[in-house]
Amino acid sequence: MKKITNDDLVLLYYGEHENPELAKMVAADLELSARFEALGLELGQIDNFSPPARDDDYAAETWLKISPQLAVSRENPAGFWNRLRNGLAQPHFSFAGVAALSVVAVLAFMLGRQGTQPGIELPITNGIPQTASLAGLGTQRLLTSSVSGHLEQVNIVLTEFANSDESRANEAERVTDMLVANRLYRQAAAARGDQALASFLAGLEPLLIEMAYEAHQDSPATRNRMQQEIRGSLLFRVRAVSQRLQNSTIST
Amino acid sequence: MSKTEEKTIRKAAAGDRLAFRDLVLEHSHAMFRLAWRLSGDKTAADDIVQEAFIKAWQKIGDFRMESSFRSWINRITVNTAMDYLRKQSRLAARTTAEPEWERSREGSETPKHDVQIDIQTQTHAAMMLLSEKERAALMLRHFEGHSINEIAQMLDLTSNACKQTIFRAVRKMRIELAPLVAT
Repeated sequence: MKKITNDDLVLLYYGEHENPELAKMVAADLELSARFEALGLELGQIDNFSPPARDDDYAAETWLKISPQLAVSRENPAGFWNRLRNGLAQPHFSFAGVAALSVVAVLAFMLGRQGTQPGIELPITNGIPQTASLAGLGTQRLLTSSVSGHLEQVNIVLTEFANSDESRANEAERVTDMLVANRLYRQAAAARGDQALASFLAGLEPLLIEMAYEAHQDSPATRNRMQQEIRGSLLFRVRAVSQRLQNSTIST
Repeated sequence: MSKTEEKTIRKAAAGDRLAFRDLVLEHSHAMFRLAWRLSGDKTAADDIVQEAFIKAWQKIGDFRMESSFRSWINRITVNTAMDYLRKQSRLAARTTAEPEWERSREGSETPKHDVQIDIQTQTHAAMMLLSEKERAALMLRHFEGHSINEIAQMLDLTSNACKQTIFRAVRKMRIELAPLVAT
């Protein structure tokens, strides 16, 4: 018969031994019984390794500590507005960010209202819709100037991300703000009939979404792929469009 | 896993923070106990629990309901604790603060009025003599009741390597704990 080792007895103690007859064999043998009892007494001492008691409030305190840090994860399939609502409900969404987004939202609303809308007839003098032309010029400049500023911010964030191996503090929150602003500007541009700008802004969104969801934390390969995408052509296009918008703001 | 918990997990996976809060409230105490047993330090355990929950929130979409949520969250806690302890050991040379178990071990050499406290102190010190992996394997088996196969998966070991890790841990613990039994 194979010798019963202390390791066999450990497995028996933890109910993991493959031989169902081992318990009977140990019980029937004085020497094995003594060894098993000694093992049990010694392993029983491990129960003294007991953690300090925590208050009943511990779980609630833990929640309070982590809730501001819960980044919206990539795996989270919740809708955009649901995530935005969740974000606004948390302290990590800065007041400055909320204020900036409010300005963007009002701007987008104004631009949308003053954009080309079918079915609305404007007063015409000498063949030119006067109100539309004046309002259009002002709002177009406002949109151009705002998007130019937005793209400068995007440029800074993308440059930082492309040249860093680690995420910066509050990066996800910052990019989330930027993503929301980007969508509002895209809608405003589309409402103004500037399809080229709307399309360009739409092209930024997939990467901003990945950054907001911290997809790059999944693996170094994902981070590399995102960095290559930025360095490849995205950063160049952002800078080029930003420059073009700045120039057009100056010329008008 | 109960139907209620399954529903809560699905809601949390869909981005419902209130559902995730329910999971935090349900599992915080158990996670703290595990984190403390892995780290031997209250402050470290608090940090580990918080970090593990944040990771769980980020990864909850990956949870497939094939194992219990407790096993899944324990795995995250163990991995977080391992990372935490590795970072701490790198910083150890730069800090003068002693972990709780070191203070306990020194304290155990002075006479104690309370024998039970002395036994706890020595058990604590003995446990901290194990490697991180040995301690994790033994804790998951002894206190959490996970099977060797489950522990092997949690620690990225083969089943046989996991067994050997537990055997080594038990041998070391018996050497340290035998005097306590004799008294």
